[in-house]
Amino acid sequence: MRVNQRNVFSTHYMDLSDFEADNSVSCRLSSSIPDVCKTEDCCLGIDEAGRGPVLGPMVYGICFCPVSKKEDLKNLKVADSKTLTEAERENLFLKLDEAKTFIGWALQILSPNTISTSMLQRAKYNLNALSHDAAIGLVQYALDCGVQLKEVFVDTVGPAEKYQEKLSQRFPGVEVTVRPKADSLFPIVSAASICAKVARDHAVKSWKFAEDLGDVDTDYGSGYPNDPKTKSWLLKYLDPVFGYPQFVRFSWSTAQTLMDSKAVAVHWDDDEEDGEKAAARQNNTSMLSYFSRSKPSELTHTRDTHRFFTERKLQSINTL
Amino acid sequence: MTTKKKRSPHTDNDSWVVIAPDSALDTGRSKEGDPSFIKLKNPATGSSSLYLFGSGDVSLYEVKAFSEDFRSWFIGQTVQRDGRLLYVTPIDPLFLLLPYIFSAATEGKFQQVEQMVMDEDYPGCTRLLHCTQGMNSLHHVADEKEVGGLKFHRYNQEKTLEWLKKKVHRTVSTLKKSNISVGGGVKSSMFIRVKQEDAKEEDYLRYAHGLISEYINEDLSKDLLKHLQLPEISSPKETEPPSKKRKLSDKPVEAGEDYTKFNSADFARKPPKKMTAAQKSLAKVDKTGMKSMSSFFSPKVKQEKN
Repeated sequence: MRVNQRNVFSTHYMDLSDFEADNSVSCRLSSSIPDVCKTEDCCLGIDEAGRGPVLGPMVYGICFCPVSKKEDLKNLKVADSKTLTEAERENLFLKLDEAKTFIGWALQILSPNTISTSMLQRAKYNLNALSHDAAIGLVQYALDCGVQLKEVFVDTVGPAEKYQEKLSQRFPGVEVTVRPKADSLFPIVSAASICAKVARDHAVKSWKFAEDLGDVDTDYGSGYPNDPKTKSWLLKYLDPVFGYPQFVRFSWSTAQTLMDSKAVAVHWDDDEEDGEKAAARQNNTSMLSYFSRSKPSELTHTRDTHRFFTERKLQSINTL
Repeated sequence: MTTKKKRSPHTDNDSWVVIAPDSALDTGRSKEGDPSFIKLKNPATGSSSLYLFGSGDVSLYEVKAFSEDFRSWFIGQTVQRDGRLLYVTPIDPLFLLLPYIFSAATEGKFQQVEQMVMDEDYPGCTRLLHCTQGMNSLHHVADEKEVGGLKFHRYNQEKTLEWLKKKVHRTVSTLKKSNISVGGGVKSSMFIRVKQEDAKEEDYLRYAHGLISEYINEDLSKDLLKHLQLPEISSPKETEPPSKKRKLSDKPVEAGEDYTKFNSADFARKPPKKMTAAQKSLAKVDKTGMKSMSSFFSPKVKQEKN
């Protein structure tokens, strides 16, 4: 009965349908903006959930309320999401949502596919940069909605000082505090961490696979690379050609190691390759050959194919 | 992150991705056999290349592959490792007949084409005799005689060069129509000029000559260049300055400047300088069990004292 009830709550209070409609991209969810936040000086907390797992999305959350209401927030007894049970988190999210007259929140759900494609694209976009940009995007969203931001509290990603400097420069006029463990130091960050964690849990639990996997085994454990359940799930759903469903972060070394050993080798043209090997593959002549007394025979003999063909990568063939 | 992946050896495909004109695939006249791929002697390189005979061998097509690294195909529900795209395009069969007619000319006699076009290495070449386009245009490259209803031919260089010259000019007009960049500065086919290219007529002629040369042997290509009254450009390889050769001598080669003489090893060999009183007293210290300072910086340094 309890489980059922929680599901009712979750669908009612945190509607993930926008994300579920297309879980291959990044998605923003948000509460309505309390009127008081547009007139009074506000503080804002930022935190993330699901940074480490190889499965599922990473969720960035912000929570904001008037500076004057900090005490009310304390009374809600929000605490670092990691110290709470799932039921307690759900409960606290409910309370936060009920306090919508002075508390607002917004979430950025970064789908595993977004993470994979960002980190594996040609110009690498690492997880820290992705995290920073998600945080910046959410703060900007609050500002755009008219929230009178004066203080921002962030749990750090990377070196705290550099991050604080980056955020301060990006948002002049807002006092930015970046601290490790900010989620246990500042209630507004705890609140943000609860929003993020609840969204992450829901997204993972009710993941809708875009791939046709039949009856999917959803017993994937915590999603963290060291969880044996997660690992056996990864093995079970490894396709030799395609690798994994989009639910999996391809950029995680756990996923890559398994693909390297169990899946078909796929070569991309930005793969790192030994210079000499690459030269051999491209039919280039090794630099060394130019220093030896006799030039390699193929250099002196064959006529070069006309550039019309070489420019168009066309060549005669003698076998199919 | 990226581990060195081993490439598995190429396996034979059972399918290819081909672009071909309808005419090449026309199997209409069932009696005369289906279109078929065949290896023939490439007239430019002399090595084997793939061609396709249309139904009944009446027409000939060459096969070129668009081939780039790191390409694969998804075809229906399968993956094909070979990412090539094959083009089957019509080719004038006379290009392939020409080498046979040319080699027969050494005997200086008129012969029947059937006698000339024979090749142990490429027995399929006799099928070229069915190509109507080639057989009907033999007079472009050879003198003809007809005796008793039989036709005899003998290679004619003048005619051949004239025929090739026409090919070059037709190619020039096609190049112009197709807006293909022929100027020397352009290296990529993807490069699109904003301004209309002011390529010279000579650039077009040279480019077209190069294209036609892909279908004739090197000597003929050079003759054609003269026939077109285009001066030969010496290849950049030849214009390179001759590499300087070091005089060979029995003496070992020595570097002009020796930077090694300031190395610590050389210092050690020098006679010890006079020491100050302080150094002398330090030298008298019992050094047993001490390591030299340098031994801490390199694992290879042997302990000189123990």
